[in-house]
Amino acid sequence: MKPLTFSATLDALSSIGEYVIAATDKAGLGQKQAYHLRLAVDEIATNVIVHSCPKSEPKPLLRLRVDLNEQDLAIILEDTGLPFDPHQTTLPNDLHCSLEKRKIGGFGIYLALKWVDQLRYERVGVWNRNIFVMKRNDC
Amino acid sequence: MEINLNVINQVTVITIAGNLDSSTAPKAEEKILPLARPGCKIALEMSHVPYMSSAGLRMLLLIYRQISGSDGQVVLVGLSEELKDTMAVTGFLDFFQIYPNLESGLATII
Repeated sequence: MKPLTFSATLDALSSIGEYVIAATDKAGLGQKQAYHLRLAVDEIATNVIVHSCPKSEPKPLLRLRVDLNEQDLAIILEDTGLPFDPHQTTLPNDLHCSLEKRKIGGFGIYLALKWVDQLRYERVGVWNRNIFVMKRNDC
Repeated sequence: MEINLNVINQVTVITIAGNLDSSTAPKAEEKILPLARPGCKIALEMSHVPYMSSAGLRMLLLIYRQISGSDGQVVLVGLSEELKDTMAVTGFLDFFQIYPNLESGLATII
């Protein structure tokens, strides 16, 4: 699959979702794995779009590509937003609480990390690089 | 994403069709939140929502807060396995009444 580049706007999310699902089809992942991978990429991309220089013009760039080998499918999402390592965020610790007492938000990164087999983060020059890995024999 | 409103037996049936992500959920909130008032009877028909991110959870949280403590009632119907999983791991599932289809959902609201 050819890499794609988007301007970091909310309009890009549906194309990003379609791209991830197409990659999971090619890799033969099961329906749940495919859904979970799409969710993870969508949440991180959303985070870049909403929180990483939302007012800057031009918008940061998002770049998407696929690395498929016998064992794994990796989706590589890169962006030129502010440095952000999803592993360094504070995850919600009130998931057991009543919905009345919850903080609004904070679920996105939690969901991004929840089901992928691996999420690796690297900072490369001006780029954040998130590598989402799903095992192919796991369906 | 499209939203359709329908009243069946005094219950407002809100049908959402399409993905609920950060680009669409705010539009859904705009339409649905004004309806989630004390005393409301709402069935949220979600069998045509193939995908829901944390933006959809946020919407559900806001709906819940607007009606909790009041005599309003909101049931969710037709959730896919994946949507239920997402609500389960974030602790949302226990706070909503969930039914497999509109018929069973409507039967509980009166």
